[in-house]
Amino acid sequence: MNWLTDKLGSLGAPGAWIVSHGPQATLLLATVLGGLGMWLMLPRGNAGGRRLGALLAALAGVVYGSQLVPVGSDEWFSEAVFLILAAVTVISAACTITFRNPVYSAIWFALTLLGTAALFLFQGAQFLALATVVVYAGAILVTFLFVLMLANPKGHAYYDRVSWEAFLSATAGAVMVGILSITLMKAFTTSPDAPKLQPPSAEALEKDILNTEHVAHLGAHLFSEYLIAIEVAGTLLLVALVAAVSIVGLDESSRRAERAHDFHG
Amino acid sequence: MDETALLRGYLAVGAILFGLGLVGFLSRRNMIVMFLSAEMMLQAISVSLVAWGRFHNNWGGQILTIFILTVAACEAAIALALVLTLYRRSGKLDIVVWQNLRESSLPAYVDHEIPEELEADEKHWPKLTPAGVEPQHSERDEYHRTHV
Repeated sequence: MNWLTDKLGSLGAPGAWIVSHGPQATLLLATVLGGLGMWLMLPRGNAGGRRLGALLAALAGVVYGSQLVPVGSDEWFSEAVFLILAAVTVISAACTITFRNPVYSAIWFALTLLGTAALFLFQGAQFLALATVVVYAGAILVTFLFVLMLANPKGHAYYDRVSWEAFLSATAGAVMVGILSITLMKAFTTSPDAPKLQPPSAEALEKDILNTEHVAHLGAHLFSEYLIAIEVAGTLLLVALVAAVSIVGLDESSRRAERAHDFHG
Repeated sequence: MDETALLRGYLAVGAILFGLGLVGFLSRRNMIVMFLSAEMMLQAISVSLVAWGRFHNNWGGQILTIFILTVAACEAAIALALVLTLYRRSGKLDIVVWQNLRESSLPAYVDHEIPEELEADEKHWPKLTPAGVEPQHSERDEYHRTHV
């Protein structure tokens, strides 16, 4: 690593910044690589480079992941589980937006949802993990799949094979992730004068979030502190139902009127 | 895994998921894939919320995620109704068809028709090696075959 530091030091101000902000610079590099990879992987007509893009994105993922988890700690098992779950989630999310066939996109998105559900479970949020699988993967996604299968033309439609401004949107995403991860690293690197993030004590967690009667506690909070919010959410569901029916029904009734007009006129 | 490392990992996963959803929403033209990307951004926020909720030992994060789930279900119902209506009118899931809704000062998007996909996934049937002696064809059979 010494020769690298020397080389970077000879670059002047940017080199000095990289040396003094090691983890952040690495994350920035990973983000740029990932953005480039996503640009190459997005559907861009018949332009090639998808394999190179996948390679770059995978490299970016490895570099990014290496910064997240301290290497060589004694809790390697839980870290490995977390890394695998995170990798499944992120890789399937990348596949969702890069696959040309929307049916495959939807199926990859189902895998993303399963990944996030597993991440919830890893945090001890049992009810949420189950609700994500049932509501998202079970209800929302299957409905979307139905529409896709009704609407899917034979082969790949040309609008699935080209993107709007693939480069600009990949840049936007990379800038977003870059800003977020630099902020993240800054917040977690311990500088002496920074306000320290206070992790919860194991006993407190055991009493609250990680309680064995997790769902009962969640329900108790939901129906006491957040009772009005629950009522509002129920009303929202009803309003959405009415809105969905009326949107589809409006179209249907206007078509009927048109047909009647054609018939009589 | 200690709590701080856990929070950092979850926030990073949330950031990446949000970025990917953003890229998908901005770049894809299929309306359904756009909505999947929007849902992906919601998932990213949920991941961060649950992580913060655990870090502060507070139920608010998980409860807000339940509300996100509710709103996502409402959004999916309305989105599906809209997509179906738009699909019925244009016969396509393409969002470019509806670009007349843009600001009047913006230039129109011109769609370059790209050539059909190369025959990369053309089916390759197995080639059978001919075996034995070719039988005699009678005139009558040949006649029938061309007229079946």
